[in-house]
Amino acid sequence: MPNIAVFIEQRDGALKKVAWQMISEARRIADANGGEVWGVLLGGDAAAAATEAGKYGADKVFTAGGDVFTTYNSEAWGTALANFVTANSPDMLMVGSTAMGKDLGPKAAAKLGCACISDAVGVTYADGFEVRRPIFAGKCFVDVVPQTPVCVVGIRPNAFVMAEKAAAGAAEAFDAGTDGVDLKATVQSVEAADGGKVELTEAEVIVSGGRGIKGPENYALIETLADSLGAAAGASRAVVDAGWVDYSHQVGQTGKTVGPNLYIACGISGAIQHLAGMSSSKCIVAINKDANAPIFKVADYGVVADLFDVVPALTDAVGKLKG
Amino acid sequence: MKIAVCVKQVPDSETRINLAAPAAELDQSGFTRILNPYDAYAVEEAVKIKEAGGEVEITAITLGPDTVKETLKKDCLAVGCDKAVIITDPALDGADEAAIATVLAAALKRETYDLILFGIKAIDDDSGQVGILVAEHLGLPHVSTITHLEMGDGTLTAHREIEGGKEVVTATLPAVLTCQKGLNEPRLPSLPNIMKAGMKPQETVTCADLGIDVPANLVQIKQYAPPAARGECKLIDAEDPAAAARELARLLNEEAKVI
Repeated sequence: MPNIAVFIEQRDGALKKVAWQMISEARRIADANGGEVWGVLLGGDAAAAATEAGKYGADKVFTAGGDVFTTYNSEAWGTALANFVTANSPDMLMVGSTAMGKDLGPKAAAKLGCACISDAVGVTYADGFEVRRPIFAGKCFVDVVPQTPVCVVGIRPNAFVMAEKAAAGAAEAFDAGTDGVDLKATVQSVEAADGGKVELTEAEVIVSGGRGIKGPENYALIETLADSLGAAAGASRAVVDAGWVDYSHQVGQTGKTVGPNLYIACGISGAIQHLAGMSSSKCIVAINKDANAPIFKVADYGVVADLFDVVPALTDAVGKLKG
Repeated sequence: MKIAVCVKQVPDSETRINLAAPAAELDQSGFTRILNPYDAYAVEEAVKIKEAGGEVEITAITLGPDTVKETLKKDCLAVGCDKAVIITDPALDGADEAAIATVLAAALKRETYDLILFGIKAIDDDSGQVGILVAEHLGLPHVSTITHLEMGDGTLTAHREIEGGKEVVTATLPAVLTCQKGLNEPRLPSLPNIMKAGMKPQETVTCADLGIDVPANLVQIKQYAPPAARGECKLIDAEDPAAAARELARLLNEEAKVI
Protein backbone atom coordinates (compact mmCIF):
# COMPACT_ATOMS: atom_id res chain seq x y z
CA MET A 1 0.00 0.00 0.00
CA PRO A 2 2.40 2.70 -1.13
CA ASN A 3 1.62 6.32 -0.35
CA ILE A 4 3.09 8.60 -2.99
CA ALA A 5 3.73 12.31 -2.43
CA VAL A 6 4.09 14.63 -5.42
CA PHE A 7 5.80 18.03 -5.21
CA ILE A 8 3.61 20.65 -6.90
CA GLU A 9 6.01 23.28 -8.23
CA GLN A 10 4.93 26.91 -8.24
CA ARG A 11 6.87 29.91 -9.46
CA ASP A 12 5.18 33.25 -8.83
CA GLY A 13 2.03 31.26 -8.18
CA ALA A 14 2.05 29.51 -11.57
CA LEU A 15 1.77 25.72 -11.20
CA LYS A 16 3.84 23.36 -13.38
CA LYS A 17 2.01 20.84 -15.52
CA VAL A 18 4.51 18.08 -14.67
CA ALA A 19 2.82 17.95 -11.24
CA TRP A 20 -0.47 16.83 -12.83
CA GLN A 21 1.39 14.23 -14.92
CA MET A 22 3.02 12.84 -11.75
CA ILE A 23 -0.25 12.87 -9.78
CA SER A 24 -1.97 11.01 -12.65
CA GLU A 25 0.71 8.30 -12.62
CA ALA A 26 0.76 8.12 -8.82
CA ARG A 27 -3.05 7.67 -8.94
CA ARG A 28 -2.68 4.72 -11.34
CA ILE A 29 -0.12 3.11 -9.00
CA ALA A 30 -2.28 3.78 -5.95
CA ASP A 31 -5.42 2.39 -7.62
CA ALA A 32 -3.60 -0.84 -8.51
CA ASN A 33 -1.89 -1.29 -5.14
CA GLY A 34 -3.88 0.67 -2.56
CA GLY A 35 -2.34 3.67 -0.86
CA GLU A 36 -2.88 7.39 -1.18
CA VAL A 37 -1.69 10.19 -3.44
CA TRP A 38 -0.61 13.43 -1.79
CA GLY A 39 0.36 16.75 -3.30
CA VAL A 40 2.87 18.98 -1.53
CA LEU A 41 2.80 22.71 -2.20
CA LEU A 42 5.20 25.31 -0.81
CA GLY A 43 3.85 28.86 -1.10
CA GLY A 44 1.35 29.78 -3.82
CA ASP A 45 -2.41 29.47 -3.65
CA ALA A 46 -3.24 26.40 -1.55
CA ALA A 47 -6.96 26.22 -2.41
CA ALA A 48 -6.42 26.56 -6.16
CA ALA A 49 -3.63 23.95 -6.19
CA ALA A 50 -5.71 21.53 -4.13
CA THR A 51 -8.68 21.86 -6.50
CA GLU A 52 -6.48 21.26 -9.53
CA ALA A 53 -4.57 18.37 -7.90
CA GLY A 54 -7.88 16.76 -6.94
CA LYS A 55 -8.92 16.63 -10.60
CA TYR A 56 -6.01 14.30 -11.34
CA GLY A 57 -6.48 12.10 -8.32
CA ALA A 58 -4.75 13.66 -5.31
CA ASP A 59 -6.41 12.62 -2.05
CA LYS A 60 -4.82 15.45 -0.09
CA VAL A 61 -2.61 18.44 -0.74
CA PHE A 62 -0.26 19.38 2.09
CA THR A 63 0.54 23.07 2.01
CA ALA A 64 2.92 25.40 3.78
CA GLY A 65 2.92 29.17 3.45
CA GLY A 66 5.26 31.98 4.43
CA ASP A 67 7.62 34.57 2.98
CA VAL A 68 10.36 31.99 2.55
CA PHE A 69 8.30 30.31 -0.19
CA THR A 70 7.90 33.46 -2.30
CA THR A 71 11.18 32.83 -4.13
CA TYR A 72 12.92 29.48 -4.56
CA ASN A 73 15.59 28.73 -1.98
CA SER A 74 17.27 25.33 -1.96
CA GLU A 75 17.96 25.30 1.77
CA ALA A 76 14.50 26.37 2.98
CA TRP A 77 12.49 24.42 0.43
CA GLY A 78 14.69 21.32 0.90
CA THR A 79 14.20 21.58 4.67
CA ALA A 80 10.43 21.90 4.21
CA LEU A 81 10.20 18.82 1.97
CA ALA A 82 12.42 16.79 4.29
CA ASN A 83 10.27 17.79 7.27
CA PHE A 84 7.13 16.88 5.35
CA VAL A 85 8.52 13.42 4.55
CA THR A 86 9.66 12.83 8.13
CA ALA A 87 6.25 13.79 9.52
CA ASN A 88 4.08 11.92 6.98
CA SER A 89 6.26 9.00 5.85
CA PRO A 90 5.30 8.66 2.18
CA ASP A 91 6.97 5.74 0.42
CA MET A 92 8.03 7.92 -2.49
CA LEU A 93 8.37 11.64 -3.13
CA MET A 94 8.12 12.55 -6.81
CA VAL A 95 9.67 15.84 -7.93
CA GLY A 96 9.52 17.06 -11.54
CA SER A 97 12.88 17.19 -13.33
CA THR A 98 12.71 20.93 -13.88
CA ALA A 99 15.37 23.53 -13.08
CA MET A 100 13.88 23.76 -9.59
CA GLY A 101 13.24 20.05 -9.13
CA LYS A 102 16.72 18.99 -10.19
CA ASP A 103 18.08 21.19 -7.41
CA LEU A 104 15.44 20.51 -4.78
CA GLY A 105 15.15 16.71 -5.11
CA PRO A 106 18.78 15.90 -4.25
CA LYS A 107 18.76 18.60 -1.54
CA ALA A 108 15.76 17.04 0.21
CA ALA A 109 17.15 13.52 -0.24
CA ALA A 110 20.49 14.56 1.26
CA LYS A 111 18.72 15.95 4.32
CA LEU A 112 16.76 12.70 4.68
CA GLY A 113 19.75 10.45 3.92
CA CYS A 114 17.51 8.56 1.51
CA ALA A 115 17.84 7.22 -2.03
CA CYS A 116 17.53 9.78 -4.81
CA ILE A 117 16.86 8.78 -8.42
CA SER A 118 17.14 11.43 -11.14
CA ASP A 119 15.10 12.01 -14.29
CA ALA A 120 12.96 8.87 -14.18
CA VAL A 121 10.64 7.92 -17.05
CA GLY A 122 8.91 4.94 -15.45
CA VAL A 123 7.80 3.87 -11.96
CA THR A 124 6.33 0.46 -11.17
CA TYR A 125 5.28 -1.11 -7.89
CA ALA A 126 5.13 -4.73 -6.77
CA ASP A 127 6.10 -5.23 -3.11
CA GLY A 128 8.38 -2.24 -3.65
CA PHE A 129 9.23 0.37 -6.23
CA GLU A 130 11.25 -0.11 -9.36
CA VAL A 131 12.27 2.96 -11.31
CA ARG A 132 13.40 3.22 -14.93
CA ARG A 133 15.66 6.05 -16.01
CA PRO A 134 17.73 6.82 -19.11
CA ILE A 135 21.52 6.90 -18.90
CA PHE A 136 24.00 8.05 -21.53
CA ALA A 137 21.28 10.58 -22.48
CA GLY A 138 18.94 7.76 -23.51
CA LYS A 139 21.30 5.43 -25.37
CA CYS A 140 20.39 2.94 -22.66
CA PHE A 141 18.02 2.64 -19.70
CA VAL A 142 18.60 1.34 -16.20
CA ASP A 143 16.05 -0.18 -13.84
CA VAL A 144 16.87 0.58 -10.22
CA VAL A 145 15.48 -0.36 -6.84
CA PRO A 146 15.69 2.13 -3.95
CA GLN A 147 17.16 0.63 -0.77
CA THR A 148 15.70 3.09 1.74
CA PRO A 149 12.13 3.19 3.15
CA VAL A 150 11.42 6.43 1.30
CA CYS A 151 13.01 7.64 -1.92
CA VAL A 152 13.04 10.91 -3.83
CA VAL A 153 12.46 10.42 -7.56
CA GLY A 154 12.90 13.08 -10.21
CA ILE A 155 10.35 12.64 -13.01
CA ARG A 156 11.02 13.85 -16.54
CA PRO A 157 8.32 16.19 -17.89
CA ASN A 158 6.03 14.46 -20.43
CA ALA A 159 7.12 10.98 -19.26
CA PHE A 160 3.68 10.35 -17.75
CA VAL A 161 0.31 10.88 -19.39
CA MET A 162 -2.03 13.30 -17.66
CA ALA A 163 -5.45 11.80 -16.91
CA GLU A 164 -8.37 13.26 -15.00
CA LYS A 165 -9.63 11.12 -12.13
CA ALA A 166 -11.41 13.03 -9.44
CA ALA A 167 -10.37 12.63 -5.81
CA ALA A 168 -10.89 14.70 -2.66
CA GLY A 169 -7.90 17.03 -3.14
CA ALA A 170 -8.39 18.46 0.34
CA ALA A 171 -5.87 21.11 1.39
CA GLU A 172 -4.17 20.49 4.75
CA ALA A 173 -1.52 22.76 6.26
CA PHE A 174 1.72 21.21 7.50
CA ASP A 175 4.56 22.61 9.58
CA ALA A 176 7.47 23.23 7.19
CA GLY A 177 9.83 23.87 10.10
CA THR A 178 11.69 26.57 8.20
CA ASP A 179 11.64 29.29 10.89
CA GLY A 180 15.19 30.48 11.46
CA VAL A 181 16.68 28.30 8.73
CA ASP A 182 20.00 29.66 7.41
CA LEU A 183 19.13 30.38 3.77
CA LYS A 184 22.80 30.17 2.65
CA ALA A 185 22.68 30.92 -1.12
CA THR A 186 19.86 33.36 -1.93
CA VAL A 187 18.15 34.41 -5.14
CA GLN A 188 18.44 38.19 -5.56
CA SER A 189 16.43 38.49 -8.76
CA VAL A 190 14.91 36.45 -11.55
CA GLU A 191 15.54 37.68 -15.08
CA ALA A 192 13.50 36.49 -18.06
CA ALA A 193 15.31 35.69 -21.29
CA ASP A 194 14.34 37.66 -24.39
CA GLY A 195 11.07 36.73 -26.06
CA GLY A 196 9.55 34.40 -23.46
CA LYS A 197 9.79 31.40 -25.79
CA VAL A 198 8.63 27.89 -24.91
CA GLU A 199 11.25 26.04 -22.86
CA LEU A 200 12.82 22.88 -24.29
CA THR A 201 12.63 20.30 -21.53
CA GLU A 202 8.94 20.82 -20.82
CA ALA A 203 7.83 21.39 -24.42
CA GLU A 204 5.29 19.05 -26.00
CA VAL A 205 6.53 19.94 -29.48
CA ILE A 206 10.11 20.84 -30.47
CA VAL A 207 11.42 22.06 -33.83
CA SER A 208 15.21 21.77 -34.10
CA GLY A 209 17.69 23.07 -36.66
CA GLY A 210 21.05 21.58 -37.56
CA ARG A 211 23.99 22.43 -39.76
CA GLY A 212 21.60 22.31 -42.74
CA ILE A 213 20.33 25.79 -41.86
CA LYS A 214 23.70 27.04 -43.19
CA GLY A 215 23.96 30.16 -41.05
CA PRO A 216 22.56 31.98 -37.98
CA GLU A 217 20.37 34.20 -40.16
CA ASN A 218 18.31 31.17 -41.18
CA TYR A 219 17.46 29.98 -37.66
CA ALA A 220 14.41 32.25 -37.96
CA LEU A 221 12.91 29.58 -40.26
CA ILE A 222 13.06 27.12 -37.37
CA GLU A 223 11.66 29.65 -34.89
CA THR A 224 8.81 30.59 -37.21
CA LEU A 225 7.74 26.96 -37.61
CA ALA A 226 8.10 26.50 -33.84
CA ASP A 227 5.93 29.56 -33.18
CA SER A 228 3.23 28.27 -35.53
CA LEU A 229 3.11 25.02 -33.51
CA GLY A 230 3.47 26.63 -30.08
CA ALA A 231 6.69 24.66 -29.91
CA ALA A 232 10.15 25.18 -28.44
CA ALA A 233 13.08 25.80 -30.80
CA GLY A 234 16.05 23.44 -30.45
CA ALA A 235 19.39 23.04 -32.15
CA SER A 236 22.15 20.51 -32.74
CA ARG A 237 25.54 20.82 -31.08
CA ALA A 238 27.13 21.89 -34.39
CA VAL A 239 24.84 24.91 -34.58
CA VAL A 240 25.46 25.87 -30.95
CA ASP A 241 29.23 25.37 -31.12
CA ALA A 242 29.34 27.50 -34.29
CA GLY A 243 27.79 30.28 -32.22
CA TRP A 244 24.68 30.53 -34.37
CA VAL A 245 22.27 29.89 -31.48
CA ASP A 246 22.55 30.18 -27.69
CA TYR A 247 23.68 26.99 -25.91
CA SER A 248 20.40 26.81 -23.98
CA HIS A 249 18.77 25.52 -27.22
CA GLN A 250 21.11 22.52 -27.57
CA VAL A 251 19.50 19.07 -27.67
CA GLY A 252 21.76 16.07 -27.16
CA GLN A 253 24.07 14.32 -24.75
CA THR A 254 25.90 17.55 -23.87
CA GLY A 255 22.72 19.62 -24.00
CA LYS A 256 19.11 19.01 -23.03
CA THR A 257 17.66 15.52 -23.14
CA VAL A 258 14.08 15.79 -24.32
CA GLY A 259 11.05 13.55 -24.84
CA PRO A 260 8.28 15.64 -26.43
CA ASN A 261 5.20 14.30 -28.24
CA LEU A 262 6.58 15.64 -31.53
CA TYR A 263 10.19 16.40 -32.52
CA ILE A 264 10.83 17.92 -35.95
CA ALA A 265 14.51 17.72 -36.95
CA CYS A 266 15.38 20.09 -39.80
CA GLY A 267 18.74 19.78 -41.48
CA ILE A 268 20.04 17.57 -38.68
CA SER A 269 22.06 14.56 -39.81
CA GLY A 270 21.63 12.71 -36.53
CA ALA A 271 25.01 12.34 -34.79
CA ILE A 272 24.85 9.67 -32.08
CA GLN A 273 25.08 12.27 -29.30
CA HIS A 274 22.10 14.17 -30.78
CA LEU A 275 20.00 11.03 -31.30
CA ALA A 276 20.66 10.12 -27.67
CA GLY A 277 19.08 13.36 -26.52
CA MET A 278 15.85 13.13 -28.50
CA SER A 279 15.13 9.56 -29.59
CA SER A 280 12.64 9.00 -26.75
CA SER A 281 10.35 11.57 -28.43
CA LYS A 282 6.99 9.98 -29.17
CA CYS A 283 6.85 11.08 -32.83
CA ILE A 284 9.91 12.14 -34.81
CA VAL A 285 9.94 13.95 -38.15
CA ALA A 286 13.14 14.28 -40.18
CA ILE A 287 13.56 16.84 -42.95
CA ASN A 288 16.94 16.44 -44.63
CA LYS A 289 18.40 16.53 -48.14
CA ASP A 290 20.54 13.44 -47.49
CA ALA A 291 18.44 10.27 -47.69
CA ASN A 292 21.23 8.38 -45.91
CA ALA A 293 21.31 10.65 -42.86
CA PRO A 294 21.09 8.58 -39.62
CA ILE A 295 18.20 10.76 -38.41
CA PHE A 296 15.86 8.79 -40.74
CA LYS A 297 16.62 5.61 -38.75
CA VAL A 298 14.81 7.01 -35.71
CA ALA A 299 12.18 9.04 -37.59
CA ASP A 300 8.50 8.11 -37.95
CA TYR A 301 8.00 10.48 -40.89
CA GLY A 302 10.70 11.60 -43.31
CA VAL A 303 10.91 14.18 -46.07
CA VAL A 304 14.04 13.88 -48.21
CA ALA A 305 14.25 17.46 -49.46
CA ASP A 306 15.87 20.82 -48.86
CA LEU A 307 14.67 22.29 -45.60
CA PHE A 308 14.62 25.73 -47.23
CA ASP A 309 11.78 24.46 -49.42
CA VAL A 310 9.93 22.30 -46.90
CA VAL A 311 10.09 24.24 -43.62
CA PRO A 312 8.38 27.47 -44.82
CA ALA A 313 5.77 25.35 -46.63
CA LEU A 314 5.18 23.37 -43.45
CA THR A 315 4.75 26.62 -41.50
CA ASP A 316 2.07 27.63 -44.04
CA ALA A 317 0.39 24.22 -43.89
CA VAL A 318 0.30 24.26 -40.09
CA GLY A 319 -1.10 27.79 -40.16
CA LYS A 320 -3.93 26.67 -42.48
CA LEU A 321 -4.60 23.58 -40.38
CA LYS A 322 -4.86 25.60 -37.18
CA GLY A 323 -6.96 28.15 -39.07
CA MET B 1 42.40 30.83 -1.84
CA LYS B 2 41.96 27.11 -2.34
CA ILE B 3 39.71 25.72 -5.05
CA ALA B 4 38.74 22.07 -5.48
CA VAL B 5 37.37 20.83 -8.79
CA CYS B 6 35.64 17.45 -8.62
CA VAL B 7 35.84 15.67 -11.97
CA LYS B 8 34.88 12.38 -13.56
CA GLN B 9 36.21 10.39 -16.47
CA VAL B 10 33.36 9.25 -18.75
CA PRO B 11 32.86 7.49 -22.11
CA ASP B 12 33.06 9.90 -25.06
CA SER B 13 29.70 11.26 -26.30
CA GLU B 14 30.23 9.43 -29.62
CA THR B 15 30.12 6.11 -27.72
CA ARG B 16 27.58 3.57 -28.96
CA ILE B 17 25.95 1.30 -26.39
CA ASN B 18 25.45 -2.13 -27.88
CA LEU B 19 22.79 -3.76 -25.76
CA ALA B 20 20.36 -6.05 -27.56
CA ALA B 21 18.38 -7.25 -24.55
CA PRO B 22 18.09 -6.43 -20.84
CA ALA B 23 21.25 -7.40 -18.96
CA ALA B 24 22.52 -7.25 -15.38
CA GLU B 25 25.81 -5.69 -16.45
CA LEU B 26 26.80 -3.09 -19.01
CA ASP B 27 30.14 -3.87 -20.62
CA GLN B 28 32.00 -0.55 -20.82
CA SER B 29 35.45 -2.02 -21.42
CA GLY B 30 35.99 -0.84 -25.00
CA PHE B 31 34.88 2.77 -24.49
CA THR B 32 37.11 5.76 -25.24
CA ARG B 33 37.24 7.82 -22.06
CA ILE B 34 37.41 11.57 -21.75
CA LEU B 35 36.98 14.25 -19.10
CA ASN B 36 33.25 14.75 -18.53
CA PRO B 37 32.48 17.76 -20.79
CA TYR B 38 30.64 19.65 -18.02
CA ASP B 39 33.64 19.22 -15.68
CA ALA B 40 35.77 21.07 -18.25
CA TYR B 41 33.68 24.19 -17.53
CA ALA B 42 34.43 23.74 -13.81
CA VAL B 43 38.17 23.36 -14.46
CA GLU B 44 38.22 26.39 -16.78
CA GLU B 45 36.35 28.57 -14.28
CA ALA B 46 38.84 27.66 -11.53
CA VAL B 47 41.76 28.51 -13.81
CA LYS B 48 40.15 31.84 -14.77
CA ILE B 49 39.84 32.75 -11.06
CA LYS B 50 43.51 31.87 -10.59
CA GLU B 51 44.49 34.00 -13.58
CA ALA B 52 42.53 36.94 -12.18
CA GLY B 53 45.22 37.23 -9.49
CA GLY B 54 45.97 36.42 -5.87
CA GLU B 55 47.27 33.24 -4.34
CA VAL B 56 45.09 30.48 -5.75
CA GLU B 57 45.75 26.75 -5.57
CA ILE B 58 43.56 24.39 -7.58
CA THR B 59 43.17 20.73 -6.66
CA ALA B 60 41.44 18.34 -9.06
CA ILE B 61 39.75 15.47 -7.25
CA THR B 62 38.38 12.33 -8.86
CA LEU B 63 37.24 8.87 -8.02
CA GLY B 64 38.10 5.98 -10.25
CA PRO B 65 40.66 3.43 -11.36
CA ASP B 66 44.28 4.16 -12.23
CA THR B 67 43.31 4.88 -15.85
CA VAL B 68 41.92 8.29 -14.82
CA LYS B 69 45.49 9.59 -14.42
CA GLU B 70 45.94 10.40 -18.10
CA THR B 71 42.72 12.44 -18.20
CA LEU B 72 43.70 14.26 -15.00
CA LYS B 73 47.10 15.10 -16.46
CA LYS B 74 45.93 16.27 -19.88
CA ASP B 75 42.62 17.98 -19.07
CA CYS B 76 43.19 19.24 -15.51
CA LEU B 77 46.87 19.62 -14.60
CA ALA B 78 47.99 20.71 -18.09
CA VAL B 79 45.39 23.50 -18.25
CA GLY B 80 46.14 25.01 -14.86
CA CYS B 81 45.21 22.77 -11.93
CA ASP B 82 48.11 22.52 -9.46
CA LYS B 83 47.65 19.04 -8.06
CA ALA B 84 45.37 16.03 -8.19
CA VAL B 85 43.85 13.58 -5.74
CA ILE B 86 42.63 10.22 -7.01
CA ILE B 87 40.38 8.16 -4.77
CA THR B 88 40.94 4.61 -5.90
CA ASP B 89 39.34 1.73 -4.09
CA PRO B 90 38.11 -1.49 -5.72
CA ALA B 91 35.27 -1.52 -3.17
CA LEU B 92 33.92 1.65 -4.80
CA ASP B 93 33.21 -0.05 -8.13
CA GLY B 94 29.52 0.52 -8.80
CA ALA B 95 29.20 3.16 -6.07
CA ASP B 96 25.99 5.18 -6.46
CA GLU B 97 25.58 8.97 -6.20
CA ALA B 98 25.09 8.94 -2.41
CA ALA B 99 28.19 6.79 -1.85
CA ILE B 100 30.33 8.90 -4.17
CA ALA B 101 29.17 12.08 -2.43
CA THR B 102 30.10 10.62 0.98
CA VAL B 103 33.58 9.70 -0.25
CA LEU B 104 34.18 13.05 -1.99
CA ALA B 105 33.00 14.93 1.11
CA ALA B 106 35.54 12.99 3.20
CA ALA B 107 38.30 13.89 0.74
CA LEU B 108 37.23 17.56 0.65
CA LYS B 109 37.23 17.78 4.47
CA ARG B 110 40.99 17.15 4.55
CA GLU B 111 41.59 20.75 3.44
CA THR B 112 39.70 24.03 3.80
CA TYR B 113 38.53 24.87 0.29
CA ASP B 114 36.96 28.25 -0.40
CA LEU B 115 35.27 27.07 -3.56
CA ILE B 116 34.30 23.58 -4.71
CA LEU B 117 33.33 23.21 -8.37
CA PHE B 118 31.52 20.42 -10.18
CA GLY B 119 30.05 19.94 -13.67
CA ILE B 120 26.23 19.94 -13.58
CA LYS B 121 26.18 16.21 -14.32
CA ALA B 122 28.26 13.42 -15.80
CA ILE B 123 27.20 12.48 -19.32
CA ASP B 124 27.20 8.75 -18.53
CA ASP B 125 24.98 8.49 -15.42
CA ASP B 126 23.16 11.79 -16.11
CA SER B 127 22.20 12.16 -12.44
CA GLY B 128 23.29 15.69 -11.59
CA GLN B 129 23.14 14.95 -7.86
CA VAL B 130 26.66 14.66 -6.50
CA GLY B 131 27.57 18.36 -6.21
CA ILE B 132 24.33 19.12 -4.36
CA LEU B 133 24.74 16.09 -2.06
CA VAL B 134 28.35 17.07 -1.25
CA ALA B 135 27.25 20.63 -0.34
CA GLU B 136 24.75 19.20 2.15
CA HIS B 137 27.40 16.84 3.62
CA LEU B 138 29.72 19.79 4.17
CA GLY B 139 26.94 22.15 5.32
CA LEU B 140 27.87 24.64 2.58
CA PRO B 141 25.73 26.84 0.34
CA HIS B 142 25.50 25.70 -3.26
CA VAL B 143 24.35 27.14 -6.55
CA SER B 144 23.58 24.60 -9.26
CA THR B 145 23.56 24.98 -13.06
CA ILE B 146 25.55 28.22 -13.21
CA THR B 147 26.19 30.02 -16.49
CA HIS B 148 27.98 33.09 -15.09
CA LEU B 149 30.16 33.74 -12.03
CA GLU B 150 31.53 36.86 -10.38
CA MET B 151 33.80 36.55 -7.36
CA GLY B 152 33.59 39.21 -4.63
CA ASP B 153 35.44 39.59 -1.34
CA GLY B 154 34.44 36.38 0.41
CA THR B 155 31.25 36.27 -1.65
CA LEU B 156 30.08 35.23 -5.09
CA THR B 157 27.29 36.10 -7.49
CA ALA B 158 26.21 33.42 -9.94
CA HIS B 159 23.60 33.15 -12.66
CA ARG B 160 21.58 29.96 -12.43
CA GLU B 161 19.82 28.72 -15.57
CA ILE B 162 16.06 28.22 -15.17
CA GLU B 163 13.19 27.76 -17.64
CA GLY B 164 13.02 30.84 -19.83
CA GLY B 165 15.57 32.88 -17.91
CA LYS B 166 17.96 32.93 -14.98
CA GLU B 167 18.16 33.46 -11.25
CA VAL B 168 20.83 35.81 -9.93
CA VAL B 169 22.09 34.11 -6.77
CA THR B 170 24.53 35.30 -4.11
CA ALA B 171 26.38 33.23 -1.53
CA THR B 172 29.25 33.59 0.89
CA LEU B 173 32.37 31.44 0.65
CA PRO B 174 33.05 28.61 1.09
CA ALA B 175 30.49 27.43 -1.45
CA VAL B 176 29.78 24.65 -3.93
CA LEU B 177 28.90 25.39 -7.58
CA THR B 178 27.82 23.12 -10.43
CA CYS B 179 28.80 24.40 -13.87
CA GLN B 180 26.66 24.46 -17.03
CA LYS B 181 27.60 24.95 -20.66
CA GLY B 182 27.77 28.66 -21.47
CA LEU B 183 29.82 29.51 -18.34
CA ASN B 184 33.06 29.74 -20.31
CA GLU B 185 35.01 28.26 -23.22
CA PRO B 186 37.38 25.61 -21.89
CA ARG B 187 40.93 25.95 -23.25
CA LEU B 188 42.83 23.08 -24.79
CA PRO B 189 46.08 21.91 -23.24
CA SER B 190 49.31 22.71 -25.08
CA LEU B 191 51.87 19.99 -25.70
CA PRO B 192 54.58 21.61 -23.50
CA ASN B 193 52.03 21.99 -20.68
CA ILE B 194 51.05 18.33 -20.98
CA MET B 195 54.74 17.44 -20.62
CA LYS B 196 55.10 19.72 -17.57
CA ALA B 197 51.87 18.40 -16.03
CA GLY B 198 53.60 15.08 -15.47
CA MET B 199 55.70 16.80 -12.78
CA LYS B 200 52.70 18.07 -10.79
CA PRO B 201 51.77 16.08 -7.67
CA GLN B 202 49.16 13.33 -7.95
CA GLU B 203 48.13 11.64 -4.72
CA THR B 204 46.28 8.33 -4.67
CA VAL B 205 44.12 7.53 -1.64
CA THR B 206 41.70 4.81 -0.51
CA CYS B 207 38.62 5.03 1.71
CA ALA B 208 40.79 3.84 4.61
CA ASP B 209 43.22 6.72 3.96
CA LEU B 210 40.25 9.09 4.19
CA GLY B 211 39.25 7.50 7.51
CA ILE B 212 35.89 6.21 6.32
CA ASP B 213 34.24 2.87 5.69
CA VAL B 214 33.16 2.15 2.14
CA PRO B 215 29.65 3.69 2.07
CA ALA B 216 26.63 1.54 1.24
CA ASN B 217 24.67 2.21 -1.96
CA LEU B 218 21.15 3.58 -1.46
CA VAL B 219 20.05 2.52 -4.94
CA GLN B 220 20.55 -0.93 -6.40
CA ILE B 221 20.81 -1.55 -10.13
CA LYS B 222 18.53 -4.38 -11.25
CA GLN B 223 19.22 -4.32 -14.96
CA TYR B 224 20.20 -2.30 -18.00
CA ALA B 225 17.76 -2.19 -20.90
CA PRO B 226 18.01 -1.02 -24.52
CA PRO B 227 15.70 1.76 -25.75
CA ALA B 228 12.41 0.60 -27.31
CA ALA B 229 12.84 -0.16 -31.01
CA ARG B 230 11.36 2.50 -33.28
CA GLY B 231 9.07 1.68 -36.20
CA GLU B 232 9.79 2.15 -39.89
CA CYS B 233 10.15 5.67 -41.21
CA LYS B 234 7.29 6.65 -43.52
CA LEU B 235 8.88 8.62 -46.36
CA ILE B 236 6.73 11.33 -47.89
CA ASP B 237 7.07 11.95 -51.62
CA ALA B 238 9.04 15.18 -51.82
CA GLU B 239 9.00 15.95 -55.53
CA ASP B 240 6.80 18.97 -54.77
CA PRO B 241 8.04 20.33 -51.40
CA ALA B 242 4.87 22.33 -50.77
CA ALA B 243 2.68 19.26 -51.34
CA ALA B 244 5.02 17.20 -49.12
CA ALA B 245 4.68 19.80 -46.36
CA ARG B 246 0.87 19.71 -46.63
CA GLU B 247 0.88 15.90 -46.53
CA LEU B 248 3.21 15.92 -43.53
CA ALA B 249 0.96 18.36 -41.66
CA ARG B 250 -2.06 16.17 -42.50
CA LEU B 251 -0.34 12.99 -41.22
CA LEU B 252 0.81 14.68 -38.02
CA ASN B 253 -2.72 15.91 -37.44
CA GLU B 254 -4.83 12.93 -38.50
CA GLU B 255 -2.59 9.87 -38.13
CA ALA B 256 -0.06 10.67 -35.40
CA LYS B 257 -2.45 13.15 -33.71
CA VAL B 258 0.43 15.24 -32.39
CA ILE B 259 -0.53 18.66 -33.80
